Amino acid sequence: MNTPVRQMLIILGGSAMIVLAAAALNFLVDPLQIFRPARLFAAMYSPDSRMQNAGLIRSQDFDTVFMGTSLAIHFRQSDIDRVLGGRSLKLSMTGSSSREQIFVLEAALQRHPRRIIWEVDDWIFRDTPEIDADPYLPADLYRRNAQGIARYLFNGAMARESVWIAARSIPWLRPVVVRVTNGVVFSFPIADPDDINVLKPDFDVAAAYNEQKARASFASITDPARRAYLAEGYDYEAMVRNFEQQAVRMIEAHPQVQWDIYFPPYSILQFVAMRDASPQTLKIVYDFTAYVARRLVGLPNVNLHDFRAVSDVTHSLANYSDVIHHSPAVDQMVLTWIAQGRFRADRNTPTAPLEQLKAQVEAYHLDPAFIAAANK
Amino acid sequence: MLFNSYAFLFLFLPAVLAGYFAWGRLGNRAAVLWLMLASVAFYAVDQFRFVFLLLASIAFNYLVGFLLISGRLRRGGCLAALAMGISGDLLALGYFKYAGFFAVNVNAVFGTHLVASVALPVGISFYTFTQIAFLVDAYRGNVARYGLPHYALFVTYFPHLIAGPILHHKDMIPQFERNEASRADPHLILSGLAIFAIGLFKKTALADGIQPLVTVAFGPVPPSFDQAWIGALAYTFQLYFDFSGYSDMAIGLSLMFGIFLPINFNSPYQATSIVDFWRRWHMTLSRFLRDYLYIPLGGNRHGRVLRYTNLLLTMLLGGLWHGAAWTFVVWGALHGLYLCINHAWNYFGPSLPRRAAPFGQFAGRALTFGAVVIAWVFFRADSVPSALSIVSQMADPRHIVLGRGEIMNLAFLLLYAGITWFAPNTQALMGYDHDNRRVGGVATLLERGFFPYAVAAVLGFGVLSIQQHSEFIYFRF
Repeated sequence: MNTPVRQMLIILGGSAMIVLAAAALNFLVDPLQIFRPARLFAAMYSPDSRMQNAGLIRSQDFDTVFMGTSLAIHFRQSDIDRVLGGRSLKLSMTGSSSREQIFVLEAALQRHPRRIIWEVDDWIFRDTPEIDADPYLPADLYRRNAQGIARYLFNGAMARESVWIAARSIPWLRPVVVRVTNGVVFSFPIADPDDINVLKPDFDVAAAYNEQKARASFASITDPARRAYLAEGYDYEAMVRNFEQQAVRMIEAHPQVQWDIYFPPYSILQFVAMRDASPQTLKIVYDFTAYVARRLVGLPNVNLHDFRAVSDVTHSLANYSDVIHHSPAVDQMVLTWIAQGRFRADRNTPTAPLEQLKAQVEAYHLDPAFIAAANK
Repeated sequence: MLFNSYAFLFLFLPAVLAGYFAWGRLGNRAAVLWLMLASVAFYAVDQFRFVFLLLASIAFNYLVGFLLISGRLRRGGCLAALAMGISGDLLALGYFKYAGFFAVNVNAVFGTHLVASVALPVGISFYTFTQIAFLVDAYRGNVARYGLPHYALFVTYFPHLIAGPILHHKDMIPQFERNEASRADPHLILSGLAIFAIGLFKKTALADGIQPLVTVAFGPVPPSFDQAWIGALAYTFQLYFDFSGYSDMAIGLSLMFGIFLPINFNSPYQATSIVDFWRRWHMTLSRFLRDYLYIPLGGNRHGRVLRYTNLLLTMLLGGLWHGAAWTFVVWGALHGLYLCINHAWNYFGPSLPRRAAPFGQFAGRALTFGAVVIAWVFFRADSVPSALSIVSQMADPRHIVLGRGEIMNLAFLLLYAGITWFAPNTQALMGYDHDNRRVGGVATLLERGFFPYAVAAVLGFGVLSIQQHSEFIYFRF
């Protein structure tokens, strides 16, 4: 055999061995617990919820699903269970679209939960790519088809995590591995599923959520250089179509499931920003959420909760890290409100909270020194 | 179809290679036809609706070229045929690539409501430029008569069709006509495999690996000083590894078929001036712009003022070639300005004493790199105001976060900087000599005992790093 052919065989054989070794390691460690619950190695979890949810849906016991975007990402499952009862599984995904949320919910519904609590933002219903064109969500892994399993096994990044999880299970290596696993380089730093994407006990809430931050965020999104983002993708017709085809269809297909859907308590600045920098977007938000409210109260298995006009919270800017994201204290209030049904929309006047919100937005006065202070 | 996809690696490539050498036994024409059909199929997998456009473009240009070469037209007729050919190409390119941009700007200026939603056929910028060069050379009498299959393969040849390198007919078609090309050469296949593996690793492990850092600066949240630099530098390295990785893959693939493609990158971030940078970055585009735009405009033949004007104009159009947006125009204008300053400095600036030359080289390299990074911000940003906002953050060190994440990101960037600034490039490692049609030689990777093992590791980790959705950045241009 001449040298080039021999070398070619070494290259092809060697690379095949590397790939197969990585696949074997991934199968053995199974970081997402796709094949079996963690036994050989301690279970570890990733904050990358689009990927992690594929494993959680299979590995966890639950009867309640908690879904949403980043506004619902810091909730603790044990808090949900304590306030609302049941055994919950949080599947919220930062920046997720309705298409992503519904795809993941459909996967979770195969485990027959009795209740879905769904934090709904208007913007999730904008047009987005097909789920198979979504670069962030491993759709085939949720489907558990051959391609999804192959991509999970023949995955270098996952093999790196597998090595790390395996090393963590060796007692004398564990302290070193724990110290280095900080979530920046390795993506599976969480040992308890209740801790996924929650704020750590030592997190400085006051530094992260305060009036100055909310004001700075307002100044930023209304800046002429960035205000176009406010209107990005907002199209009333498309949003209604997506809502009907995705959300309503799924809810109607699962009449045995209780759906608690809520509009979260954004700060009033979110709407004021639209009022001042993109009024056409604000109109779409009003019209679309009015449509959603009317439609949802007509479905017998849905409770709609609208927290957008709860002015005690939404006008107190110290509750926010920007114009929409509220603090953990508000998380607790949201759970209590849902349990009490305090802001549940009336089936006869579902848009009453929206009318209150409109009046609040119209009346909200911005101090002339507001922007200057925000930029300090 | 993507080079970094399982379907390409494990189905398309082995089948086309086997078919090429099998048909090659029947003669050159059969092998060329097979490769041409395979290339069209490669394009059709993702761009089926634009296959007819590609074939029509080939037929149109071949026909115009045939008229120009045939000698049946007088000089005026040749000029008219050339004008018709180039206009046809530019009209098609203008419609598919710039109609939307045109409508948006007309609407902005005149308050009209023009709508032009036209999908961009992948590769149209590349195959249009390739064929314009063919027509111009045919008009100049620099083209021999080529057979249609060879010409069609020259345009559609799958290693370059989507994102270059921009090929020249005089370089490629004679290679396609060689009978030896369609006979399997183990040395070339081995070398091609190694170059392809390096390119795959650059793309899947390095370029895709650093992609998350880019969003630190280019997302909706305004970055701090350090985050803006992290994002801008990350994009600088991502673009280089993405595009040079693609070019390496194209060169490697082509080499397996016995065809030498021109190199497209020569360690551009090691350039000591902007003039040097453009001799090292996207080299086939630089050559095209020089030969078919800058020189016909007058080049440097009519004094310094016109020279600088021509440079600016060439770079502006070069920027617009990349995409229909003002950000690309600003990027081109910036590089045009850089080039003018560079040439003016060469002419008017003081010459350094020999002892200070190393310092001058270092300063030149740092200054060039910094200028290139600033320009990439415009290349990447969604809009000119967004780019200006990021650049202003890069110039404002009062607002620094520098948390643990930022420190990790900076360490990551240092690794990439080390590779781009100090590591030898692929052609140096492999001894790839396009001009002399040679690969390998003394002191190259091929001669080392660890060569197959190193390539096996690079290929293995390159395959393991393939992500489900990872297009090449230059597919959009």
